[in-house]
Amino acid sequence: MAAGLAVSVSIAFAAGTQVYNPQTRQWIDYDRTKAYKYYKLHKQVPESFRKQVVKFRTAERPGTIIIDGNQHFLYLVQPGQQAIRYGIGVGRDGFGWAGIVRIGRTAEWPTWTPPSEMVARDTKAAKWANGMPGGPDNPLGARALYLYEGDNDTIYRIHGTPEPWTIGLDVSSGCIRMNNDDIVDLHSRIEVGAKVIVLMQGAALYKGV
Amino acid sequence: MSTRPHAVRRPISVVAVGSLAAILSACVSAPPAPEQMSRTKVETAPADLQLLCSDAVAKASGIDTTKILPVSSSKLDSNTYQVEVDASGKKTSCLVDAEGNVKSIQPV
Repeated sequence: MAAGLAVSVSIAFAAGTQVYNPQTRQWIDYDRTKAYKYYKLHKQVPESFRKQVVKFRTAERPGTIIIDGNQHFLYLVQPGQQAIRYGIGVGRDGFGWAGIVRIGRTAEWPTWTPPSEMVARDTKAAKWANGMPGGPDNPLGARALYLYEGDNDTIYRIHGTPEPWTIGLDVSSGCIRMNNDDIVDLHSRIEVGAKVIVLMQGAALYKGV
Repeated sequence: MSTRPHAVRRPISVVAVGSLAAILSACVSAPPAPEQMSRTKVETAPADLQLLCSDAVAKASGIDTTKILPVSSSKLDSNTYQVEVDASGKKTSCLVDAEGNVKSIQPV
């Protein structure tokens, strides 16, 4: 970990994430470039963003998903005041949101159809305006959990990614991204209808509350 | 006679080095556990503590938990977090300690 983190400190800080370097005993800013170099060197994200079981004191039912957008963690509540914690990537500045929603449906290797606003502002997205088939290069990755407010699709998803090094960063257009192994694991554990609580300090948008 | 000064000096130097080490170790905080080796520049309350505040506000106000959401939080000291909760448009301030004990809730 320390070697990977020491690779680069030259790129300007973009997201608010910091990672601890045990060799220098210092917290360092963790941006997209450092994240990419770390992942290239270690073939995985820093330890705190890897799947693990943690203590989680809550009155929420097991099966509830709680997303801490600020700290870049997704918790799946388990019995016995515990949760499975996964690392996530979230919306960049202006694309963060918070609220209480639910899993409306799920898909394996989903087709990605960019929303019209994204097509308008992103030429790469415009190429796939009619839908990009599922596969390893698809931005939704191996699984997608579609977030609904009541019976309405919020257009936000929890999904996999072909860019696993972006876990821990503020990079998306509002979706919650996980590495493919983690989204496959989460997908296997949740039920359609599960409650999803999204916490994000300073969010521009609130859903379902 | 000639060895006596050394016999005295060595314990003094050992004590001095030991004291220096103790002072330095007191200044350097212990490294975080591996699962806690990430953070954000603005330190928010852990998600479970934020939701314990939501639950406390729900119980006190009678408002359904589906209409209550923590909207901001901060660390007040090493053991206490302040969480601001939005309950159907009404803002409530909650103090919760690191062990999950809600200390107070009051309207903002």
